[in-house]
Amino acid sequence: MSASVQSLVSQPYKYGFTTDIEADVIPRGLSEDVVRLISAKKNEPEFMLEFRLKAYRKWLTMAEPVWPNVSYPPIDYQNIIYYSAPKVKEKKGSLDEVDPTLLETFEKLGIPLSEQKRLANVAVDAIFDSVSVATTFKEKLAEVGVIFCSISEAIHEHPDLVEKYLGSVVPIGDNYFAALNSAVFSDGSFVYIPKDTVCPMDLSTYFRINNGDSGQFERTLIVAESSSSVTYLEGCTAPMYDSNQLHAAIVELVALDDATINYSTVQNWYAGDENGKGGIYNFVTKRGLCAGKRSKISWTQVETGSAITWKYPSCVLVGEGSVGEFYSVALTNNLQQADTGTKMVHVGKNTKSTIVSKGISAAKSKNSYRGLVKIGPKADGARNYSQCDSMLIGDTSSANTFPYIQVQNSTAQVEHEASTSKIGEDQLFYFAQRGISPEDAVSMIISGFCRDVFNKLPMEFAAEADKLLALKLENSVG
Amino acid sequence: MANSSDLNAILAMPTTASLTEQRDAYLKTLIATAKAAVPTDLALADLRTRAAALLKEETFPSTRQEDWRFTDLSALLSVNFAAAEASTVAESAIDPLRLPETTGAQIVVVNGVFNAELSQLEQLPEGATVGSLRQLSQNADLMTKLQTRLGQASGSHEVFTALNTVGFQDAVVIYLPRNGVIDTPVQILYIHQGQDTLAQPRCLVVAETSSALTLVEDFWSTGDEVRLTNAVTEIWLEANAQFTHSRIQREGAGTYHIGKTVITQARDSQYIGTAVDFGAKLARHNWETYQTGEQTTTKLYGLGAITNAQHADTHSLVALIHPYGTVEQQHKSIVDGKAHSVFNGRVVVAQKAQQTSASQLNRNLLLSDKARVDTKPQLEIVADDVKCAHGATVSQLQADEIFYLQSRGIRAAQAQRLLIYAFAMEMLERIPLESLRSTLAERITQWT
Repeated sequence: MSASVQSLVSQPYKYGFTTDIEADVIPRGLSEDVVRLISAKKNEPEFMLEFRLKAYRKWLTMAEPVWPNVSYPPIDYQNIIYYSAPKVKEKKGSLDEVDPTLLETFEKLGIPLSEQKRLANVAVDAIFDSVSVATTFKEKLAEVGVIFCSISEAIHEHPDLVEKYLGSVVPIGDNYFAALNSAVFSDGSFVYIPKDTVCPMDLSTYFRINNGDSGQFERTLIVAESSSSVTYLEGCTAPMYDSNQLHAAIVELVALDDATINYSTVQNWYAGDENGKGGIYNFVTKRGLCAGKRSKISWTQVETGSAITWKYPSCVLVGEGSVGEFYSVALTNNLQQADTGTKMVHVGKNTKSTIVSKGISAAKSKNSYRGLVKIGPKADGARNYSQCDSMLIGDTSSANTFPYIQVQNSTAQVEHEASTSKIGEDQLFYFAQRGISPEDAVSMIISGFCRDVFNKLPMEFAAEADKLLALKLENSVG
Repeated sequence: MANSSDLNAILAMPTTASLTEQRDAYLKTLIATAKAAVPTDLALADLRTRAAALLKEETFPSTRQEDWRFTDLSALLSVNFAAAEASTVAESAIDPLRLPETTGAQIVVVNGVFNAELSQLEQLPEGATVGSLRQLSQNADLMTKLQTRLGQASGSHEVFTALNTVGFQDAVVIYLPRNGVIDTPVQILYIHQGQDTLAQPRCLVVAETSSALTLVEDFWSTGDEVRLTNAVTEIWLEANAQFTHSRIQREGAGTYHIGKTVITQARDSQYIGTAVDFGAKLARHNWETYQTGEQTTTKLYGLGAITNAQHADTHSLVALIHPYGTVEQQHKSIVDGKAHSVFNGRVVVAQKAQQTSASQLNRNLLLSDKARVDTKPQLEIVADDVKCAHGATVSQLQADEIFYLQSRGIRAAQAQRLLIYAFAMEMLERIPLESLRSTLAERITQWT
């Protein structure tokens, strides 16, 4: 472990390069015209333009939330580029026609897009700045009826599905950033799993912000029909810039009767340097709707990047006997700030939810768990178990928990427990006795601390996440 | 004070802007009412001016504020409160409330004003000063000692606390000199009587180095009329002071009770507090402890038992800024009928507060489908060498526990009462006065 850690130290954020590629960029700023322009550029049907304009008008009436336990200078929404896309000459028929610079970029990120090179059995949708550049294994998935494509494509090819589900889980006026996203979102992934289908391979989207002045507003929509199941992975990186970039995404999941959606994220946006300069503002709304009976939505997230994270993947448990899960590791270092957690809203009978959150804060960072468990008056027999543990490394970081529990049904059973601790001298001494260096001891203790969550990640991701944490914490102990 | 037609005119406009205006106007009215009630011999000009200035920046709480999110005070807006006046109550009415253990150390406060006839203070040791601030205000020596304490605690920047400071008509003063120990527990009985009245009881406890005291504060009102009680108790514990506190709130079903208890703890001091909320239509207790030195011990035990349309809200704060502190908190609520229980327990551990150990547990028993619980155990930690844990549970009585008792021949209803009793007693047992404990336990036994 030590050797690999050492080798990685030399480049603390290895995804910090920029790709020099000609981009189709619209002028800075946001107005109704910009919204129309984005819609026109994407050649969207009428209903989409209406959707965007409604959201934009709603956004104008809303105020930026101030309740998160984070602080940042005011964002100038007129100084952001709302649409940036790598320039294309014509519509691409196959992967061979994708700009080789782009392919190289993703190659560098460890995401080979050419299918013959791809060893793992995972289909990938790669999103560069605002647009989807390629989606792999599309045909193979189509054989079983699974639709996996960029959301722009879906708007053209499956408008009925998009119109039915878009905004059904996260309404346009849900919150400030959701309204902004609904107005200007440029691309994202769309997944549709038909009835009685187990998706034959894991699906994945890889997000990359390249342009230094653009915001990224992507939108993901996953619909799982009755008795279907899918595992979805999401990864993100961005180059190192001195300025802050805004990333305001929306993810909507819909699970019908007996459907299962597993959604995993490894978020590694650029976090800024040790003085807090630069980095991504990650203001994301993620929500899953367990609409059907016995449906299940499981969120797993490993949050290591971003200057500021503001994110609460949630489950609305409407279907009888539906299940929501949230497993999270959030690591903050240097001057990073994270205010993250989940919302479990129990509406239907016998709904169950589990929350396991592990927060690690080092250096001068701020790490907050904010969660809501709400049991509605009709949710007879609802059950929730929450556990949130924090680990503090160094005495200048802070760990906070804000768990809201709201119960309106007497048959519900809700448990919440939380603890805060540090890596003890005695633990390190124990390791030292056995000839294990403090550095290795710390990474072992941390990976043990996060075990409950990593176990929920797909295998490749788990190994990656372990390495990522060790790397991120380099030099913060001792 | 605004007359009722003004108020009706305001009520007719439901827009957000006018609601804010209405709240501001209402707060102004309350401040004016409070100010007008200040007796001339207790001017305390500096203190009251400062509080009035604070109030200028405040608004009347609305559910849009995080601190008042689950406690809606808008029902107050339709009541024109008049300041409660000094009064007396029949001896026979309060006799049952007198605790035998506190004989000779009982203070009776009616409508926020010390009542000398009903109070009995013969059991107090020499050196200790217990009495009314109005009467003691001639004692220049004592007043100098109190000056740095009265209204000076952290956390006084809060709308109702400032309102009390602006308008309290009298205050109970308990001053314990160095090494002063009052063996007899002291009981303060706060009685509120009147209709549509605002009473603002105030209490100031100063316990000098190595002193010790057990205090019972008992809030009670005659009848179920609509009233607003706005109480503030400030407790100053100097080094190594030992203080045991019971705060019992059993006001009438029409009372809005807003209370603040703020404890400032110097090094090595110990505070053990038990707060019981049984009464009032709506009760809010802000329970705050601050540290001025290391190695303090703070134990907070709370019990709420409410039913019908009652509302009980406890907001506690333990702020640790020095090392080696110990905090233990348990808060339990029994919620029946259409009642609504709110708990917000905040523990803040600053960077300097290394080697702190803090535990907090909130347990809620929901006995009816219309009842509601909102809880938020909140930890904010910067120090790394600490042990902090918190937990919260909400559930009904466990079916298997009832079954266990039934299998031993105990009827279901009886089994249920037994379990509720056990749930409550864990908190009530912390009260050191046997007679008070059994009176309160009685109330739980009768729970159906």
